[in-house]
Parts: sequence; C-alpha cells; structure tokens
Amino acid sequence: MKNSDIMMITADAEKIPFNQNELAHRLGVARGYSDELIVRCTEKLKNIVDFKCVYIRTPVIKKKENICDFGFMSVESRNLYNNLKGCSEVFAMALTTGIAVDRELAKLRITSRAEYFVTDGIASAAIDSFADYASAKMRGDKKCPPRFSPGYGDFSLTFQRPFLERLGAHALLGITLDSSCMMTPIKSITAIMGIKDEENN
Amino acid sequence: MKKITELMKEKRIYFDGGTGTVLQSMGLPAGQSPELWNLTHPDKIIELHNMYFDAGANIVKTNTFGINREKFADYRELIAAGIRCAKTAAGGRKDAYVAFDMGPTGQLLEPLGPLKFEDAVSIFADNVKAAVECGADLILIETMNDSYETKAAVLAAKENSDLPVFVTNVYDAGGKLMTGANPAAMIAMLEGLKVDALGMNCSLGPDMMLDIIGEFKKYSSTPVIVNPNAGLPEVRDGKTVYNIGVKEFSEYMVKLAKGGADILGGCCGTTPEFIAATVEQTASLPYSLPSEKDFTCVSSYTHAVIVGEDPVLIGERINPTGKPKLKEALRSGDLNYILNEGIRQTDAGCHILDVNVGLPEIDETEMMVRCVSALQAVTDLPLQIDSTKSDTLESAMRVYNGKPLVNSVNGTEESMKNVFPLVQKYGGGLIALTIDETGIPETAEGRTKIASEIIARAVEYGIRKKDIIVDPLALTVSSNPESAKVTLEAVRQIRALGVKTSLGISNISFGLPQRELITSTFYANALQTGLNCAIMNPFSAAMMNVYYAYRALNMLDSGCVDYISYASSASDKNNQAAAAKTEETLHTAIVKGLKDSAVLKTEELIKINAPLTIINEHIIPALNEIGTAFEQKKAYLPQLLMSADAASAAFEVVKRNIPTEQSDKSRAIVLATVQGDIHDIGKNIVKVLMESYGFTVYDLGRDVAPEKIRDCALEHHCRLVGLSALMTTTVPAMAETIRLLNETDRSIKVIVGGAVLNQEYADMIGADHYGADAMDSVRYAEAFYA
Repeated sequence: MKNSDIMMITADAEKIPFNQNELAHRLGVARGYSDELIVRCTEKLKNIVDFKCVYIRTPVIKKKENICDFGFMSVESRNLYNNLKGCSEVFAMALTTGIAVDRELAKLRITSRAEYFVTDGIASAAIDSFADYASAKMRGDKKCPPRFSPGYGDFSLTFQRPFLERLGAHALLGITLDSSCMMTPIKSITAIMGIKDEENN
Repeated sequence: MKKITELMKEKRIYFDGGTGTVLQSMGLPAGQSPELWNLTHPDKIIELHNMYFDAGANIVKTNTFGINREKFADYRELIAAGIRCAKTAAGGRKDAYVAFDMGPTGQLLEPLGPLKFEDAVSIFADNVKAAVECGADLILIETMNDSYETKAAVLAAKENSDLPVFVTNVYDAGGKLMTGANPAAMIAMLEGLKVDALGMNCSLGPDMMLDIIGEFKKYSSTPVIVNPNAGLPEVRDGKTVYNIGVKEFSEYMVKLAKGGADILGGCCGTTPEFIAATVEQTASLPYSLPSEKDFTCVSSYTHAVIVGEDPVLIGERINPTGKPKLKEALRSGDLNYILNEGIRQTDAGCHILDVNVGLPEIDETEMMVRCVSALQAVTDLPLQIDSTKSDTLESAMRVYNGKPLVNSVNGTEESMKNVFPLVQKYGGGLIALTIDETGIPETAEGRTKIASEIIARAVEYGIRKKDIIVDPLALTVSSNPESAKVTLEAVRQIRALGVKTSLGISNISFGLPQRELITSTFYANALQTGLNCAIMNPFSAAMMNVYYAYRALNMLDSGCVDYISYASSASDKNNQAAAAKTEETLHTAIVKGLKDSAVLKTEELIKINAPLTIINEHIIPALNEIGTAFEQKKAYLPQLLMSADAASAAFEVVKRNIPTEQSDKSRAIVLATVQGDIHDIGKNIVKVLMESYGFTVYDLGRDVAPEKIRDCALEHHCRLVGLSALMTTTVPAMAETIRLLNETDRSIKVIVGGAVLNQEYADMIGADHYGADAMDSVRYAEAFYA
C-alpha cells in the first residue's frame, strides 16, 4: 500500500542551474571553471536526468531531549534535535536523478575515466541543485532551517529504511537500499527540513 | 467455479480499487503497515473486500502487497490470514475471485543493485508457495517498476504454481517503467513468459493512462489490465486528496475500455464507489479479447526490436572465433574488454548484440551469465545468446532482462529436444539453422524443408511461429561456387513460409582477399532478396554503407534522415583523421586529451617504431608534461584524466602489437579501497594514471579484506600495493592490511592515500609512502621499478 498524503515535485533539467560550488568542489577546479569536457558531459547528463521528489508534511514531537518522533520513526540524534529547534512540523523528502544516471556512469566507467569522473561530479551537483529547487517549492514563505539528512552527524543512516518506506520512495521514485543503507539510484537524497513555528516565522 | 481465464473469454471482468485509501478511512494510521491488520483486524479486511465485491468487482486483491520473508518474519501467517479474509468475502458469491497480491521487494536487482536475481526469485517463490497452500485463485504481480524484478516474480509464480498469473507495471507519464522499459518491451518479455494478463497500475490517473493504452492495443496479444489511481494527489484545505472524482474516473474508464483495456479496476485513491461507477459505465460496452499480433520481436530492459522489413543488424564482435584478443580476455576473465566491444557496437548502430563466449578451456556457462549480466548494465540493446550448449543457453536466458534472441536450434532431434523447452519456458526469439542429422542440404529446397520441419515441431511445444527466425546458412563461396546463390534462394523460399530470416554474413568471404568487397556485396544481394537480420561486423564501413544506402533506396528511411546523418558523420571522421595527420603528434594529442587522435597517431607510429619506443619516447613524456602542469596547478583533474584516457587508448594500440607472452607484467601494483570503505574515486584515478603509464593494475575494488589484498600480491608476485581510504573509521583497516603484508613479505611496499590521510598518519600506520595525489603515487611507482 502506498500512503495517500505523499506529494510529488518534478523538474525539467533545463530549469535547474547546477550548483557551481558543489561542481567546483567535486571536480577539484576553480569555481566557474568550465571546459569542453565539462560542457559535453553536462549536456549529456541533462538529457538523461529525470528529477523527481516525493515529500510529506508531518508533525515532529520532541518529548525528550535529543529525541525526535515523526510518527513513522523516532530518531535519537542530538544534531537533528538541534537542527529542528523551534519546529513542530517538518517536510520529509526523498529526491533522485533516476536510474539512467547510474547506467550512464556504469558505461563511462568502462569507456572513459575522465568522462566518468566529470559526469559523477556533475550529477552530484545536479541532485544538490534539484534539492534546493524542491525545498524552495515546499518552503514557500515559511522559515526553515537547512535540510538535514540521515548520515549527517549522529543522525544514523539506518533511518533511511523507515524514511523511504513512509515516502513510498520505492514505488514512486524507484529508490532502493542495500544492506549498508546506501541508495540506488546513487544520486539520491533523503532529508528532513524543519518548518519554524509561526511565532518564530 | 470457472477458472478466471475462462471467465474473461466470456465477459469483461473487474478488479477492486485502492486498499490503503479505504483502510485509512477505517482508522489505519498513516505509515502503519496495513498487512498487519490481516491478523489484528480481519473483520475490517473482510469488510473491505465485501465492499468491492458488492460494487461489482470480480477479483479482490489480498491485503498482502508488502509481505515477504525479508520484511515480516511471520509472512506465512500474514499471507494465510490475508487470503482467508478475501476467501471469506468471496464465499457464496458468483464470479468472485481471490488474487494473491505480490508487490516489489523494495530492493534493486544486480547489476545496478545488490539483490541477486535468484534471491529475488526465491523471495517471491516463498510467497507463492504460501499462497498456493491457502487456496488463492490467481496471482497478481503488481506495482512493479522494474522489468527484471517483474521477471523474477513471474518465474517464481510459474515454477511454484499452476495458477493464472496477472502482471501490472507502473509506468510514468512518459510511458516508461522506472528502470526504462516501454510497454512493447514489457509485453514482449511477459508474453514470452506466458502470463495470462498484463497491463498497468498506480502512479498515473486514467487520463494519463489513455496516452499509453494505444501501445498495449498495438502490441499485446494478451488481455490488458488497467488499474489507475484516482488522478494525482494534491493538497486541498490542508488535506491530500486525489484530483479525479468518481464520475470523471468512470468516464475515462469508458475511453480506456474503448482504447484497448480489457480488465478494469483501480489503485491508490479509488474506492468502491469508483469501481461501481466503472462497472456501470463499461459493462455493456462491446468486449472481445485482443487478437494475436504478428510481430516478431525481442527486447531488452528498455525497448523491443521488431524484426520486419527494416533490416536488423546483429553485432558479431563478441565471439572468440578468429579473435585472439577476445580469447585472451575470456581466459583472463577481463570483462572490461568484452563490455567495451558491446558499447562500441552499440555506438556503431547495431540493434542486437550476439554474445558467444565458447572456449574449451573456460566455464562457458559461468562466463556467459557474467557477460549477459554485465553487458545489460552498459548497453540497452537486446542480446542474442549464442551457444551450442543447452545448459549455457538456459542459464543465460534465465538471468536475461527482457526477451532474448536465442542462437540457436537446428533440425536435429537432439537440438530441438533440448532448446524448444527453454524457449517455451523463458520466451525468446529463436534462430533456427537449416541443418539436421544429415548435414546442410546443398539445395535451397532441402534447407527450406528443414525450416518447415523445425517450425512444425516448435509449434507443438507451444512456441509461436512468429518467434522463429530461420538462418539458411551462408557457406564460404571460395569452396563452393554455388553457395551464395543457394543461400539467397533459400532466403526467398523461407520467407514464403511466413517466417523471418537471418544470416551470418561474414562467412561468405572466408579465404578470399579483400573480404569486405565480397561480404558487403553479398549483404546487398541478401537484403534485396528480403533478408531480415544480418549477423555482421558493424565496424566495417563497407557493410554499414550498404545498410544505410539500402534503407534510403527502399523507403525505409524517411527523408533519408539516417543516411544523411551517417554520411555526414563518416565525412567528419575522415576530416578529423586528416587533421590529425597534419597537425597533431601523439605527444600533443595526449596532452590535449584527444583520444581518437592519439589512437590514429599511435597506429601510424607503430608501423615504424618498436612498441617500447612509443611508450618511452611519446606516451610517458606527454603524460609527464600534463602531470607536471597538474602538480603546478596549471591543469585541473578533468584535463589530467582526459590525457590519461588518451594515453590509455594509445597504450591499448601498443599492447595489441606486443605478443601476449612478451607483455610486461613485472611493473605491477595491487590497488584496493580498504575494508569498510566504499569510496573509490581516488583509487580509480590512481588506477587510470597507473595504467596509462603502462603499469599492470590488479584492482580489487572497494571494501576489500586485508587477506584478499595479501593473497593477490602473493599470487601475482607483485611487490607494490596501493591502499585508499576516505573515512577516518577505516584507517585501522588500512593499518591492519599493512601489518599483514609486512608480516608476509617485508619486501612488499605500500603506498597509502585518501582524504583522511597525511604524512603523519602514513608514518604512524607503517606505510612506505604517502601518495599526496595520483601523480605522486605514479612517481613513486616509477622510482620503485626503475
């Protein structure tokens, strides 16, 4: 069964300017640097990414210090608890570039290490940019602290499983987990984004 | 009670609608597994089913969608309770059936995911066994967004029950599954596996499914199921609701029924009211099951290739006959070489790739399965599984994602007895060779007679005639002057039998000089005679010229678009080659990262230089130049890697010219990301550079145990090991690996690198060298082997 309160956001790759800071960081180049290889790999990637996001808006109950209960999972994490100060509701989201990116990377791994490395970096920047885009759509005029993902600080990666389950991320986005809680498609993100309470807004 | 497959011949049948939607209205909290209610609230589940039967549904889906042994330890009890509830509701009703509902495992299968195909089959098989014991009337495999997992579930259902099997997949607005398959590909695979009904559910509303139903109507000979959502979810007054109401839904269902949907129902957001309205609106519409379609097709995990008037190119390059490099790759298990051949043939314009890995000294079945699986990660073309061994064919057909082309069966009793049952079970197009116990007939009539016999026998096994593609065998014209004439006449006669034809083209010219002339002319003749498929070399310009020209001349290429694109690209390549001839040197090609130019230049140089001269005087100095620029921050990593790619391509040309026994394995390094660490970009960059400098690299991958690294170094007598780690938590594993290597052989030197390391750490864990970056590691290796 899929839960019926799940919302979806999609975007055309052309609408998402890929995050230049992230790109520079991943490729080890100066910010704003580009060359023929980067342009070629970016164009190719734009043709195959299929940006999709699912999210829910759900209450977070903090009965005890460092414990955040979202109904579908109760998380003990000091970092997440601090991130969600002043929030009694959150957006829980999962996003992906789609599996075609994995296939392209598998192919480039064989044919060209340079294209593999560059495409991998651009795809990371791309999913990050899409997460910014989707977060802005969800947020509207609300105030929200920065997104916080399983794996950040002491927010354990093991929460990926109930998280993805609740969001129907397998049926809707095709995201699956391996035994180490790593996601496929590899360029996928899960995150919690708090919504500051009205008095703080 | 009639079987559901009998009832659906007589009248339109209906599925129920959403389960979660109704259960939530009965009090199921959001986020809680509804399947648990089979045991805790059976009365509610029975009520749910009763509501749908009362609304006019013939089939209810058991509340077992998410149940499997991986998610629920008590899966058998939950399944039994779920089926019990549905059977209680169905009891005493006319035309009321219980479908055991099986959803996806939630894991992605290999090669892109971690779940092994046979493990997926086994998970589904346990579900099916439980469902059979409890008396389900049919099996519904639903909400599948991956063709491969769908195949695993269908095999499990077929191998563990005699129940009818219905399958619905999730398509997106573009008409594709999450992993890429379009309806034609799914229909090809599922009809091959002999499911009883197929179609789509979830994700889309009926309005968007209208855009896709035409594809089902066009390709499916099997009844089509359509179970849409009640539109798309949206927020109204702070609550999430689906945007299509009961009346609108039923109006769309009328259009879907008229457009080719045979079995109707609903998914998320739909309730008994939706089903009642749908039944009311559609029950009196004219109804008949789909007609048998006459397409000959095979498929991959994305698309189907239709074998018809438009010629089909089957790449022949993955076949060791006469290819020493491929033989060597197969012996050493070098899949990269094979995958590269697959990618190159895909890029060259093939439609299907032949895969033959038969060598007496290797385990053919094991290698075939590895190749099929690995090729399907890097090419989306359908594969032609080519083996003389039926156990090899079976293993490969089983793991193949799609409907394969099988090469081959022949007219001998033994071959037909072995191969037909495989095609009957797994589905597939089948190449039939016109040879029997007495050999290959010398006349076209003799070959046609064998073809007729094979077709007749295949039909007895339930294999459809349209799935047979006859190969009347092109024999070498140099030893038999009539060969081409007889073969072409056989193509003509076999076409008249109403089946498609294929030929291994290259064989015709064996033993003659300038083979391409003969081969391509024969191909043109064969096309003119009506040949459908050619097993051929796509890197032969002469062959591709014929293919594109033939299509342009025979109204198969509207506006000559493909021909013009091909001709311009061929002309570009010639210009590039001419430019490379005049301007570039191998040195500048490598420094600029121009792979194609580097290959061309190396091919020129190798004619007049010794292989080692090219490496030492051209490739290495060029790499050193870009390497120094990188160290001085005058070049960035992408440029360095481009140059490494170009150097590796040049090095490959050199390697082809070094006899195998003389290749230098003394400059070698074992590379690994240490145990517990899965980050391998840094290690991969080092690998590329090391290879471009001519080192033999034994790459053990990521998350590698210390013992495995030691064993590899010992096995290959390799005295240099490179270890990578990105996470602080895995540095102890690195230290342990060094300790083990030192304990084994103190002469083995270890380079360490990765984001968490520095000179101090490296010293602390006893490494021989800290590789600050990839170039630095190469420099150390150069000095080590100097």
